Amino acid sequence: MIKVNKLFKIFEGRNGQAVRAVDDVSTQIAKGEVVVIIGPSGSGKSTFLRCLNGLEAFDDGQVVIDGIDLTASKTNLNAIRREVGMVFQHFNLFPHKTVLENLTLAQQVVRKRKAAEAEDKAMKLLTKVGIAEKAHEYPSRLSGGQQQRVAIARALAMDPKVMLFDEPTSALDPEMVGEVLDVMKQLAKEGMTMAVVTHEMGFAREVAHRVLFMDFGRILEDAPPTEFFTAPKEPRAQTFLKQVL
Amino acid sequence: MPAKRRAAQWPWLGLLVLILVGLAAGLWFATQRIHYEWHWARVPQYFAYHDEELQIAPVAGVVLRINPTGADSRIEIQPEGGGQPVTVTVETETLKVKAGESVAEDADLGAVRSWKIGPLTWGLWVTIWISFVSGLIGMVIGLITGLCRLSPNPTLRWLAILYIELIRGTPLLVQIFIFYFFIGTVLNLDRTVAGIGALALFVGAYVAEIIRAGIQSIPRGQSEAARSLGMSATETMIYIVLPQAFKRVLPPLAGQFISLIKDSSLVSVIAITDLTKSGREIITSSFATFEIWFTVALLYLVVTSVLSQVLFWLERRFARSD
Ligand SMILES: Nc1ncnc2c1ncn2[C@@H]1O[C@H](COP(=O)(O)OP(=O)(O)OP(=O)(O)O)[C@@H](O)[C@H]1O
Ligand SMILES: [Mg+2]
Repeated sequence: MIKVNKLFKIFEGRNGQAVRAVDDVSTQIAKGEVVVIIGPSGSGKSTFLRCLNGLEAFDDGQVVIDGIDLTASKTNLNAIRREVGMVFQHFNLFPHKTVLENLTLAQQVVRKRKAAEAEDKAMKLLTKVGIAEKAHEYPSRLSGGQQQRVAIARALAMDPKVMLFDEPTSALDPEMVGEVLDVMKQLAKEGMTMAVVTHEMGFAREVAHRVLFMDFGRILEDAPPTEFFTAPKEPRAQTFLKQVL
Repeated sequence: MPAKRRAAQWPWLGLLVLILVGLAAGLWFATQRIHYEWHWARVPQYFAYHDEELQIAPVAGVVLRINPTGADSRIEIQPEGGGQPVTVTVETETLKVKAGESVAEDADLGAVRSWKIGPLTWGLWVTIWISFVSGLIGMVIGLITGLCRLSPNPTLRWLAILYIELIRGTPLLVQIFIFYFFIGTVLNLDRTVAGIGALALFVGAYVAEIIRAGIQSIPRGQSEAARSLGMSATETMIYIVLPQAFKRVLPPLAGQFISLIKDSSLVSVIAITDLTKSGREIITSSFATFEIWFTVALLYLVVTSVLSQVLFWLERRFARSD
């Protein structure tokens, strides 16, 4: 489903120093696979994820989503992005739209669905994530956990083939983390292809098929969760795990 | 506690009233000193007046008869040289002839009276519609320029910067003169078009800066979320960024449009008969200088207050989603 080949993303720092946010990353994510990406702050996890849907223009390398090369000159990035859902740390719901409108807008604008069809789909998804009764509220009236569930539903409304999560629970109060993780587990069970950046080690253990450990823009370790959490090979992964567990 | 706080307010409100009364008294004494005589009664006629249009006999002849129809009277005149009788209608109250009387050509038969719009009302109307049209055009110019200002294309960006700096760095009065005497002459523009053009260009530059700031104040996460759903840059701008930005820039835009109404008084220098020009013209005939200027000021105040109320109401409606 996702192929990444020798991906580079270099930021020019303010003082002229180059930051290699993503440094020679190659990996693959199969259909239906759940991959959890962990690593210390600033290790390039977000940047890597954002390269996968072209939100960040990368400097070198190749990203292929479902057989379509992002770098090919005739590739329409907008067409790719509608197939790749993304959930952000800070939800990024549209504050001037109701919950329902948040879910229907892109369906109508991008997928050209009729209003009735889009609303139908939206209500089904809101029911699925358990907040159908808030459909006509504005996002500011919702709790963080509810907002993040709306954000997940909004991404799902486009019928994406892949879902990317960038620390979806980091901005939440602890008591709301569970409700969001439950939705994500449910998705994984249904066979969604997912790449998840998170600090929730429990989620990684339970749901992930593979764990990628990143530091300094590189993937240092790529292993199934049982293996990674019991016997990490990389010394840096060992130190990191000691700190977070 | 609230009662106590209110009690403490009274002395200050009293002082406020005292100061206002003092100012009014000062004004009164000042006009006394220069022996100014107030003629407020002369003002209303410049809003609307009862116009009397004299009706005269088109031919010399004899009044055959007078048929009253409602408040009017139809006078039939048999011309001296023979032929068909001619009819003239006047208001009965102003009738000056009797049946059987002979009248000379151009003789005064009576009058038709009607309410006419006075120059103050007319000037007010001109001010309102000139401000409205130039505000509307300025809004469009400002939106386009604001977007160009943020464009990654250097040509668009620098054109926008150049325009904004040129307009903001020169006085409006000078811009109006240039627009009227130079551009207006080259393109053979009507003075009203030139005035509206100058005002629109002026307000457009300020609106552009307001819109640019508004767009930049919308967090990047908003457009990233929209793009991640597959929306194009244009769709993101139209559905996500601009609606939110517009809500935020409403207060500064309101201020800009209120300024525009006041600034529009400068077009009177190219002989557009707006409220200010009307005021100046009236003074030459009425000699009620102070009254007219006070009235003109009051009219501007009324228009700007109404506008700010409307915009305030709009702002509250947009605040629904907060
Ligand atoms: N827009 C940018 N301009 C310059 N440098 C950037 C930019 N975005 C990220 N970086 C740098 O790239 C590196 C990787 O950042 P990234 O946000 O991908 O890390 P992360 O692993 O997601 O960290 P965190 O866990 O804190 O979210 C960091 O050193 C960061 O300072
Ligand atoms: Mg991050």
